[in-house]
Amino acid sequence: MMKELVRLESISKRYVMGRTVVTALDEVSLSIHEGEYVAIMGHSGSGKSTMLNVLGCLDKPTSGRYLLGGLDVSTMDDAALSDVRGRRIGFVFQSFNLIPQISVLANIEVPLFYLGMPRPQRHPRSSALADLVGLGHRKDHKPTELSGGQRQRVAVARALANDPLLILADEPTGNLDTRTSQEIMELFDDLYRRGRTIILVTHEDDVAGHARRVVRLKDGKVDSDSLSARGLAESKAAQT
Amino acid sequence: MKGLNKVGDIVLLGLSSLAVHKVRSGLTAMGILFGVWSVIAMLAINEGASYESQQSLRQMGSDNLLIDSVKPSADESGAAQARGVLNYGITWSDQRTLIDNLPGVVRWTAAHRTQKSAQNGTKLIPCQVIGASPNYLDLGRLALVAGRFVSEADQTLCRNTAILTVSLARRLFGPDDPLDKVIRLGGESFRVVGLVDQPSRTMAAVPSELAMNLIFIPSATDKNRFGEFTVINTGSSRSRERVEVSQLIVQLADEKTVLNAAKVVRSLLSRSHDKRDYDITVPLELIEQRAKQRRLWNIMFFTVASISLLVGGIGIMNIMLASVTERTREIGIRRALGAKRRDIIVQFLVEAVTLTTVGGLTGIALGFAVPPVVQTLLKIPALLPAATMIIPFLMAVIVGLISGLYPAMRAAQLDPIEALRHE
Repeated sequence: MMKELVRLESISKRYVMGRTVVTALDEVSLSIHEGEYVAIMGHSGSGKSTMLNVLGCLDKPTSGRYLLGGLDVSTMDDAALSDVRGRRIGFVFQSFNLIPQISVLANIEVPLFYLGMPRPQRHPRSSALADLVGLGHRKDHKPTELSGGQRQRVAVARALANDPLLILADEPTGNLDTRTSQEIMELFDDLYRRGRTIILVTHEDDVAGHARRVVRLKDGKVDSDSLSARGLAESKAAQT
Repeated sequence: MKGLNKVGDIVLLGLSSLAVHKVRSGLTAMGILFGVWSVIAMLAINEGASYESQQSLRQMGSDNLLIDSVKPSADESGAAQARGVLNYGITWSDQRTLIDNLPGVVRWTAAHRTQKSAQNGTKLIPCQVIGASPNYLDLGRLALVAGRFVSEADQTLCRNTAILTVSLARRLFGPDDPLDKVIRLGGESFRVVGLVDQPSRTMAAVPSELAMNLIFIPSATDKNRFGEFTVINTGSSRSRERVEVSQLIVQLADEKTVLNAAKVVRSLLSRSHDKRDYDITVPLELIEQRAKQRRLWNIMFFTVASISLLVGGIGIMNIMLASVTERTREIGIRRALGAKRRDIIVQFLVEAVTLTTVGGLTGIALGFAVPPVVQTLLKIPALLPAATMIIPFLMAVIVGLISGLYPAMRAAQLDPIEALRHE
């Protein structure tokens, strides 16, 4: 069995909206191991966005404990959380979230920049990552000069820059057409085969189908947690 | 080392985001440019103007005291004029008392002034005749241009020698060399033996139209030939004035004794004179007064110019706030990818300080143009002391820090999740 990477213990997140208290996450407990490919599914309002923010250390739970790679991040202050994000997490967003004024390579280098990696070391790394996601010929272009699929590839490369423990993807194909979506999902499949731990938040079944394990959220609670078709096939293959 | 590296990179980041909005950055920096420039210009003009007045005062000699006879105002002089002669000014007895009682007198000289007409052939020019002793050349700060000044031999022999100011010589002789020529003065013939430059300060109460036309003659000759009376023709009536000593210049041991000596002079003269028929000039006091005045003007100029710098600072703050709003999403992205609040603050501060630094440096560069332009256009001198450059520059940097701080803090306080959602 691989090492436990994410451990959520009775995580709750409540927001005060005027006079009512909204419970976005309700006593969620979850464990994800190194090398897993997990899809988090649910309708809007199910709490999956909040889940992603908590997992990504962008938001702190109201109660409960969150261990990321053995480190308790639920009590950390803002600066420490920034550091955890910078070192341990790679984000891929639905709307790509690239910085428009800077080049592809400069975008990939942003996390390295905040890790304090010197310029001469950053450059070969970002260059290699651009090659990895198939954008070797677009390195000096601005994001605005790229197609949606290419932009998302830049975002994936950027998510890999800091060699994260965990890749968090929030509806990564939400702004892409079917064919490009397929390409991006193949990129994730490839990362999974290389041993990366991936958590995917989506409401699309075929996207979730790429993952090996599917966690469904409903009203802030875990509704189901099971292997996907691919996950089942993989575990059968492993048993025989 | 790692931290330093990062700061260097964030500085570059700030610079590159300014480069994206070249026009906006340029206009914002211009606000600071004019602020810095106006501080420099105002300080430079003030420094220059006060330097000039200080210089002219220093020429009078900071270790000197000048005591001039001054015609008292009409109502005060009424009594003395009863016998048809107006007696006023410093007397020989005053002169003796002062020289004997003043502490630390090194040298002194007395001059007597009358109003006459100088004649060369058909040219007749009104002028001031000054009976002076040889050391008046030095103590009166005269600059000899040609020939010689009054000599001891002139004095003992009561020679009729004359030294003219260059401008008077030109009016009397035109292009001819005036040396060794003879002029007529008060019914006597005088041989021109020297030329002096126009003195920067002559005597109090010399009519300005005559200030250029000065003739120096030996004081012994003056006393023998002309006496101490001056005839004044005012329209139809003639009045006579009698002054024993027109000007007394006393040189003291050093600057420290000057102020004390000035006090003694004032008290001695006020005892023997019941009317204000004398004028005491203490160059040192004036120098100090001017210095004080200069400091006051500096403060005022500085305040006014600082306001323009402040306006520039407000411009910077405005632009930075707009920039923060515009780049909310970028801030969110950077925060998600590991940027700490501190990193965001530094990034925006660097932008603000860069704007002001560039503006400040350009302002200083333009500041170098202030002295020549002011000198040619306004005919007043301007000086650029180092402080004039450094102070406005430091102010610009501080303005940048202050006006950048609030927008930077706003940027850093943004919630990363909200910022990422920002359209």
